[in-house]
Amino acid sequence: MSVVTEVTTDKDTATGSDRTSSWAALRSGRGLVGAVLVGLVVLAGLLAPILAPFAPDQQIPGAALQAPSGDHLLGTDSVGRDVLSRTLYGIRIDLLVIFLAVPAGAAIGSILGLVATRYHWLDTAMQRSFDLILAFPTIILAIALTMVIGPGVWTIATVIILAEVPVFGRLTRTAVLTVRQSPYVEAARAIGADEGWILRRHVLPNCLEPLTVQLALAMSVGVFIEGAMSFLGLGVVPPTPSLGSLIKEGTQNAYHSPFFVVGPLTVVLVLVLGLLLISQALAARSRQR
Amino acid sequence: MFSRSSSRLRRPVLGAIALSLAGALAVAGCSSAVDQAAASGAEVTEGGVLRIGDGADLTPASVYSGGSTAQLAITGLVHDTLVRYPADGLEVEPRLATAWEVSEDGRTVKLTLRDGVTFHDGRALTPADVEFSIRSYADPKRAGQLARTAALITEYDTSEPNAITLTLAQPVANLFDLLNIVPIVDPNTFTDFETGKGYNGTGAFRFVEWKPGASVTFEANEQYWDGAPHLDGVEIVIVPDAQTRISQLRSGQLDLIPSIAPRDADQLASDPKFTVVEQDGVERTWYIGADVTSPGLDDVRVRKAIAYAIDRDRILADVYQGHGNTNNLPWPEYSPAFDEDLNTTYTYDPAKAKELVAEVGSIPTIPISYTTGSVESEATAQIVQADLEAVGIPTTLTPLDPATNLKNLIGGTYGGLWITAHTYAQFTPITLPTSAFPFNADKNTSNFVDPAYQQAVNEAWTVVDPLGPEAAASYEQLNALILDNAFVIGLHNSEALFASTSDLHGVEWSKKAELDLSDAYLDG
Amino acid sequence: MIRYALRRLPSALAVLAVGSVVIFALLRLVPGDPALILAGPDASPEALAALRHDLGLDGSQIGQYFSWLAGILTFDPGRSLILGGDIGSLVLDALGNTLILAVSALLVAIVLAFTLSTVSVILDRKWLNSAVTAFGTVAVAIPNFVTGAILVVLFGVVWAILPAGGVPRKGFLDDPGISVQYLLLPALCLALPIAAALTRFLTEGLRSQLAEPYVTTARALGISRRRIVLTQALPNALPATVTVLGIQIGHLLGGAVLVEAIFAWPGLGHLIERAISTRDYPVVQVMLLFSVALFVLIQLATDLINAWLDPRIRLGGRA
Repeated sequence: MSVVTEVTTDKDTATGSDRTSSWAALRSGRGLVGAVLVGLVVLAGLLAPILAPFAPDQQIPGAALQAPSGDHLLGTDSVGRDVLSRTLYGIRIDLLVIFLAVPAGAAIGSILGLVATRYHWLDTAMQRSFDLILAFPTIILAIALTMVIGPGVWTIATVIILAEVPVFGRLTRTAVLTVRQSPYVEAARAIGADEGWILRRHVLPNCLEPLTVQLALAMSVGVFIEGAMSFLGLGVVPPTPSLGSLIKEGTQNAYHSPFFVVGPLTVVLVLVLGLLLISQALAARSRQR
Repeated sequence: MFSRSSSRLRRPVLGAIALSLAGALAVAGCSSAVDQAAASGAEVTEGGVLRIGDGADLTPASVYSGGSTAQLAITGLVHDTLVRYPADGLEVEPRLATAWEVSEDGRTVKLTLRDGVTFHDGRALTPADVEFSIRSYADPKRAGQLARTAALITEYDTSEPNAITLTLAQPVANLFDLLNIVPIVDPNTFTDFETGKGYNGTGAFRFVEWKPGASVTFEANEQYWDGAPHLDGVEIVIVPDAQTRISQLRSGQLDLIPSIAPRDADQLASDPKFTVVEQDGVERTWYIGADVTSPGLDDVRVRKAIAYAIDRDRILADVYQGHGNTNNLPWPEYSPAFDEDLNTTYTYDPAKAKELVAEVGSIPTIPISYTTGSVESEATAQIVQADLEAVGIPTTLTPLDPATNLKNLIGGTYGGLWITAHTYAQFTPITLPTSAFPFNADKNTSNFVDPAYQQAVNEAWTVVDPLGPEAAASYEQLNALILDNAFVIGLHNSEALFASTSDLHGVEWSKKAELDLSDAYLDG
Repeated sequence: MIRYALRRLPSALAVLAVGSVVIFALLRLVPGDPALILAGPDASPEALAALRHDLGLDGSQIGQYFSWLAGILTFDPGRSLILGGDIGSLVLDALGNTLILAVSALLVAIVLAFTLSTVSVILDRKWLNSAVTAFGTVAVAIPNFVTGAILVVLFGVVWAILPAGGVPRKGFLDDPGISVQYLLLPALCLALPIAAALTRFLTEGLRSQLAEPYVTTARALGISRRRIVLTQALPNALPATVTVLGIQIGHLLGGAVLVEAIFAWPGLGHLIERAISTRDYPVVQVMLLFSVALFVLIQLATDLINAWLDPRIRLGGRA
């Protein structure tokens, strides 16, 4: 269902002052394209109240599943609501997912991964727990959790956090362990610096690079998870629109309203494409150094 | 090393070329899978295997209570019942029982069994088989809908070779509903029946094989007492996705789809290669249930306001494409309890609804539960929410998966409104309030306990003739109580539609939507 | 090598053990139980109680857990409560179908990925690189349930040249030509995201290998780019790719659930989805345990393969 690839960085030796220039990756080439694409979608979602011609849950009797027309640029859905308006408002759920749930999962995972490197027994326990979470297919986890907690945005967020914590945990742990072995950290220890200081001044800044790359990737996975969950009927509760639930409705009604799915699908494509391009640009930049 | 390396280049590229060549050959050269599948359906007039596509697989433990196509095929094709109602009426017709006598006080019923009926393994039908079948249906863990009716049979007299006499604890108005539903099974092979290994019945088709998750196959019973069927066999193919089923019907891989969404039905009907049939008599009543113990709904004025607030015509038109009829009471037109005037007690009247709401004052947010997985359910729920909001009743939607829905249905724990469909209104009217849990007078999903209702139900149940004047009076009383208390608010009856290739003819069905294929045939 | 393998075993077993408890507990937390499904919407509370007793659901939870565990350890998974049949044959049938699909999808993905990445790195043309990158990014972005739906509508309905779903009625071995046609669409649908991820990863891996000093040496010696990529860079890029492949295989089951639903493929994904929605506890438990065990096995296998390919891991213990 989802593609989670980890970027291994075992050659990163830059110090903290290089951190700011990683954002330069976003100013040209692939990074710029990606940033623009994501920016467009974000803007469309934030400006939904202004851009949408109708309210997202305004039902128009008798106008169900209509093809695109002058009034409804993307047609209507099965209870007569304007698809364009719903798509614009639907972006907001994905924005919530991308900018809140994924970073939350990343933060929790990274902290856990960091803490794990302190004690060996904690490290093994954490590794095995991560393995356990990864062993369950995400979709099954989503189904089970939805049945226990009930559907809704919080459930989507929980599934995403559960899916991201092991990934970021492992990534952080590997990065920290690698940096810890580098010569300048040894040198710092030799002159008497304590672990906490080393952590703050050397380890953390150098781990941020792979984490940022993975974060962009994780955001695209988040959109995926939301889409798949909504597609299986586990996601947001109607009448709230989300990109995933709109795609589901579109494919369900494909025979009757073939253009329904085009709008939300394009938005998802643009969003995920943008996020992937950003992650690629950041990865390329880290590889160059 | 260098010679090895050059072969290394060729391998992946060669492999790719080989694979694409093989693929092209497979698609172009050999026979097309689509043609092969299509050809097997359009064979000859006498013969042919009918392929039915449905999403739900056979669940052996629920053969008595389930309503999926596979379950209905087992009871409808492989087994027979004692009597049969025509799909759109309530006049009892003979089946395995050719004649019956009901005593004056209604407590003794004697059924004469047909001669010359044999099970698929060759053994002749005996009254002991009938007793066993009814007893096993009555077992509560089989969860048969009419188990309560069956439990009222206290004695079975199988002394005569061709007849069976039943003694009842009380006169029962819907006894023949029970006899119309109970499949006559073979006691000797009952363990196979329970586990899905084999089904030995007296019906028009023999059970051949069940491949879990894939198909259930049947072949014609040449020794059928009503004459051998035209078809050679029937195959139920499990196809989980509705769109896939329709595209398989279109491409000729399936011949019949028993349940089809109204929009898809209209699209198929416009193509002369396909026929869409309305199964008259198979009723699915959609209603909104209300938990009368939950906040807001404990006031009958709120429930009545809800009944006035809903635009039933719009739901029928927008969601069901007009296939069905709006109603307040579940009874179909031919039912003795049907009343034209009462059926329009609650019309779409938002002004009246608002009045009632204003009387009550502030209403808390009420949850509306519905089952996921159905486009129609979801659309109906959203329209209901919009309609209720328009009159000032705030609601939230709670989609539930089928199992959780069942839990709430049986336990009465919805805590608000719920939208679902129910069948069994097409039988004797008293069947619904005595067997269907939501309408049950003693304990129901709405937690509505009312002595007047209980008494009315009891009176209607102990009537001897369900079609007579005494019964009619008791139905009137029942209807009035259901409408006044509004613990179930009728929406509409939706028609059951099935789609088939136009080559198929002669399909009939029972009230329970079991397909009767004993006279069906496929054109060449 | 053996010692390395033995060192990894205890933690693998620990994951399995904890996994079984989590699976058992999770299912019991989900509302509803198989008795409800069998009882149906009109069941009286007595019917429900009788069914629960019959299914063995009214004992203590811990007792039920241990009796289930005992069954598993003696290779007797038991009978399905609702779906029918004994679980062993249910799962084996479904497994066969899913394996056929998964293996085909993997083959398609691997062939596609290797071809695209090696060709694009060897030829090193701008348009080719952009095309391959585009494929790598877009094919990952489109959800597989959407590709599935599009494929079905296009090839199964609009141009009705391939079956819209299902498996060959007479089995796979009856006519391979027919079998390929049934396999093509679902395998493609499942393979695309994997092929895209592998392509991207392998391409980047190859390129970063090409930046290594030994490649400069090789070029200075006059060895052609083609040979360098295939004989030097490829084997060195393999370990990381194998890890990615391992993770992708782990994701196959999740992808299979959706793809099997769209193409009506009676495999494991379809089975577990049905089992969960009918709360068929024994079947779900066995399948989830199977999935956890499979994951652990694959992790172990990829670790061992990596250790074999890269002696430093075996000897140094870099986790």
